[in-house]
Amino acid sequence: MKVELQNLTKIFPSRNKKSGEEVVAVNNFTFTIPDGKLVGLLGPSGCGKSTTLYMISGLQKPTSGKIFFGDEDVTELTPENRGIGLVFQNYALYPHMTVKQNILFPLQNLKGKDRMTKDEMLNRALEAAKLVQIDDLMDRKPSELSGGQQQRVAIARALVKMPRVLLLDEPLSNLDARLRLQTREEIRRIQKETGITTIFVTHDQEEAMSISDVIVVMKLGVVQQVGKPQEIYDDPHNLFVAKFLGTPPINVFTGRVENEKLYIGNDAVLDVKGVEDKDVYVSIRPEGFSLDEKGPFICELSNVEIMGRDVSVVSKNEASLNPVIRSIINADNKVDMTSATVRYTLKPHKVFLFDKKTEERIYFEVK
Amino acid sequence: MSKVLNALRSAFVDGVWKTFCVKWIWQGFCVNLVYKKFDKWKGWLYLAPAIVLLLVFTLWPIVNTLRMAFLNGYSSLGELGGETFEFGIQNFQKVITYAKFTSALKNTLLLCVITVPISTILALLIAVCLNAIKPLQKLLQTIFFLPYVTNSIAIGMVFAAMFNIVGNNIGAEAELIKTAGIINNILGVFGVKPVNWINAGSSYTANMTVMVIYIVWNALPFKILILLGGLQSVNKQYYEAAKIDGTPRWRVFTKITVPLLSPMIAYVVITGFIGGFKEYSSIVGIFGDTMGPVGDPRRLNTMVGYIYDALSQDYQGRASAAALMLFAIIFVVTMINLYVSKKKTHY
Amino acid sequence: MSENEVKIMHEQDMQKVSSKQKTVKIIVQVMLYLFLGIMALVILFPFYWMLISSVKSLDEYNLTVPTLFPKKFVFYNYVEAFNAANLGRLFLNTMYVGIVSTLFSLVITVLSAFAFSRLEFKGKNTLFAILLATMMIPGELFTITNYQTVSRLGWLNTYTVLIVPFLVSVFYIYLLKQNFMQIPNELYLAAKVDGTTDLKYLWKVMIPLALPTIISITILKMMGAWNTYIWPRLVTTDDAYELITNGLRNSFTDVSGEVNYPVQMAAVTLVSTPLFLVFIFLRKYIMKGVSRSGIKG
Repeated sequence: MKVELQNLTKIFPSRNKKSGEEVVAVNNFTFTIPDGKLVGLLGPSGCGKSTTLYMISGLQKPTSGKIFFGDEDVTELTPENRGIGLVFQNYALYPHMTVKQNILFPLQNLKGKDRMTKDEMLNRALEAAKLVQIDDLMDRKPSELSGGQQQRVAIARALVKMPRVLLLDEPLSNLDARLRLQTREEIRRIQKETGITTIFVTHDQEEAMSISDVIVVMKLGVVQQVGKPQEIYDDPHNLFVAKFLGTPPINVFTGRVENEKLYIGNDAVLDVKGVEDKDVYVSIRPEGFSLDEKGPFICELSNVEIMGRDVSVVSKNEASLNPVIRSIINADNKVDMTSATVRYTLKPHKVFLFDKKTEERIYFEVK
Repeated sequence: MSKVLNALRSAFVDGVWKTFCVKWIWQGFCVNLVYKKFDKWKGWLYLAPAIVLLLVFTLWPIVNTLRMAFLNGYSSLGELGGETFEFGIQNFQKVITYAKFTSALKNTLLLCVITVPISTILALLIAVCLNAIKPLQKLLQTIFFLPYVTNSIAIGMVFAAMFNIVGNNIGAEAELIKTAGIINNILGVFGVKPVNWINAGSSYTANMTVMVIYIVWNALPFKILILLGGLQSVNKQYYEAAKIDGTPRWRVFTKITVPLLSPMIAYVVITGFIGGFKEYSSIVGIFGDTMGPVGDPRRLNTMVGYIYDALSQDYQGRASAAALMLFAIIFVVTMINLYVSKKKTHY
Repeated sequence: MSENEVKIMHEQDMQKVSSKQKTVKIIVQVMLYLFLGIMALVILFPFYWMLISSVKSLDEYNLTVPTLFPKKFVFYNYVEAFNAANLGRLFLNTMYVGIVSTLFSLVITVLSAFAFSRLEFKGKNTLFAILLATMMIPGELFTITNYQTVSRLGWLNTYTVLIVPFLVSVFYIYLLKQNFMQIPNELYLAAKVDGTTDLKYLWKVMIPLALPTIISITILKMMGAWNTYIWPRLVTTDDAYELITNGLRNSFTDVSGEVNYPVQMAAVTLVSTPLFLVFIFLRKYIMKGVSRSGIKG
């Protein structure tokens, strides 16, 4: 099922009547989610990603704009009439019901022609449970399950109605690190197996990158960029997106362009053809540095962290906006620890320039 | 007035329910049409029964009490008979000059001032002790809660029986002692002479003593429950820290337990005062409706008792004035308590 | 002194301290139990006295030195008490009023608590604040007008008058609302996504989850009906509508002078027993319900 958002806007009235300031949670969001894809809504807290999810679910009504499932306008439909499954951040399992009762619950609400017999319901519940591999836990109460198992129950409960769209709100945030990795794969598998269009919300860029087909990066209610994870990583449209994606985080410097040369401090570090003279932000991915004894970019060497295959060189530069500069270098390159400085050349496709005022990307020709 | 009430009543019977039914159906109909509009009304719909009852039996009485209290010499029967009343503060003036009222006020204040500190301190001691033991704790806790689940009139009658001088008490001193009642017998073991506690000719002090004992006995369970609950929720680490520092028990009690428990203590003191000012049925339990020993009715009357007396004599104006004064006293005392406990409460 | 001796002395010293601490601890424990034991006796004595008096003969009760245990059990006192106070009728009346008012009161409380805890509507917070404010006002203030209202409505000497005016308890609404609020809102949203109606959600999810509180409210409300005295005394003059506490007080005070205490105590025992039974079986809920009021605010 294709999901289409048209100019979706949500404005919350201000809590404080006197100040009268409204909060624009989502601003003019237009986007089409292709059928059968796994889409991650990514952004820091308060960016409107959860509101978007709730609007798609029907729990919140958009102030303006429309939502289509396929060709059907569902904007005015109540949640139960949309055919969605929603998994809450804290799973929202009914604590007094067993796993089986929890999964059966949505089916028992069906009316009219959708009504099922008890056996049908049981079969469906068992199917859903098998899909998420909890069919041996059917008679337990939620409190007797681990976090990961609860998560699966919640997914089963959302899937049992065979929804057209599956929505996941911060699906991994309540799990510990080990389970998180495992569950990530699990969600991916379930989505692939069922082929249901799935939208999930997260603030963790690594999570979004690792499983999404498409990522939507949001900030303060406004969509910043939409694309495949690798595309967004390799080609961020603005400084926010560049900074938000990637671990270790991207290195940001203040710099300027003069005569098609990029300066950081006094070092002319790169040729940037086609850019007019102006002040810029320079962001360089950690893997965008190469050690070079004659390199143009000179930094003060702090220390080297061995990471096995790679080493991370920690250095400092006055123009850096991050406390330290982190570069990731292949471990075969020897770093001279006795030296006070380290010199780099930069890989042009890992260097992004942004306008100092608008923070929008400035493109330059790579030779 | 009665016209208004009658109109209200018929409006209530015919109008309101019909309106509500119509509204209900109409809104049910609208669910599908204007989902949003229904959402706005739904809350009020759920609250409708509560609101209707509150309007009639809570809000209207507040308004009406104010009205009655400020109509000189107001009586409900008089009003029904077409009498009119002037606006004024005569009811209040009369009430405070009545000896009946002032003695009721005195009794109430005395009972409050004596029973609240005694019961609070005793409850605190028992709670702390209960908290310090392990075996039998649950059993003792249950025993100490028992007085709460009693009927204060019924058990009042038991207390009366215990303090009573059994049999004919008119006669020689010797006869009196012969049937002295269980309490006097127990006191006799300790060499105390028999006291006429509640019978005809008993002293005011003796009467009050019995009341204080009964009220404290009755007030303990709630206070113990709250204070023990508070104690059990205090983080054990404070005590362990104190132990490591070698803090003596008494200091632990005054410097750690009481301050940490201060919100609970404030709570039981406030509720104790509120309950104390409304004391009535425990006195009925022991002395009966006459509110005093035989031969001296109303000797132990309280504020609430006074209000009911005025009410049963159809002096609603005075009853209202007295009720408002009771409310004012409770309000002021609660505020003072809150103010003090806010200053003394340590967190 | 050899090193070994020092060590031994040191150990002895330690033992001394700990044994001293031990004795202090034991003494303290003994004192604690002594105090609590005495207090427990004081608390229990009236109940004991009630029980033994209820099975004594009148002659034995009137003995110069009261017996602490009845020489002869006279159970006939109970029969006499039951008849003298017309306890059967009083029991039935009280049960009827208690059950009906509890049921209606629960429905109203649950609906109100649900509205306050889960629904959004204009004026909600103001309304709730007003309700809470009325809790400060002593009930006597309402009684004056309510007496007027019910007598003008012609409700005197009916069951209605014993039930209707007390159906709404702001305190119970508050108690249940607090409990409902602890249920995560996501459960409500999840139910909405599944197409559960509000009433079904209330019935299937909220009530089961808040059951302990609801049981507490039920018990407290029933106990209230059992113990109510003032209002029934005001509004019922007909014995047919008399409740248990009133009947108890009235039946034994009319007799001037000669009170048959054993019979009276038997009646008191009969009236108190249901309360004790309820307490024994549902202690947890009662104590929780009562202590809940302590965690206010």
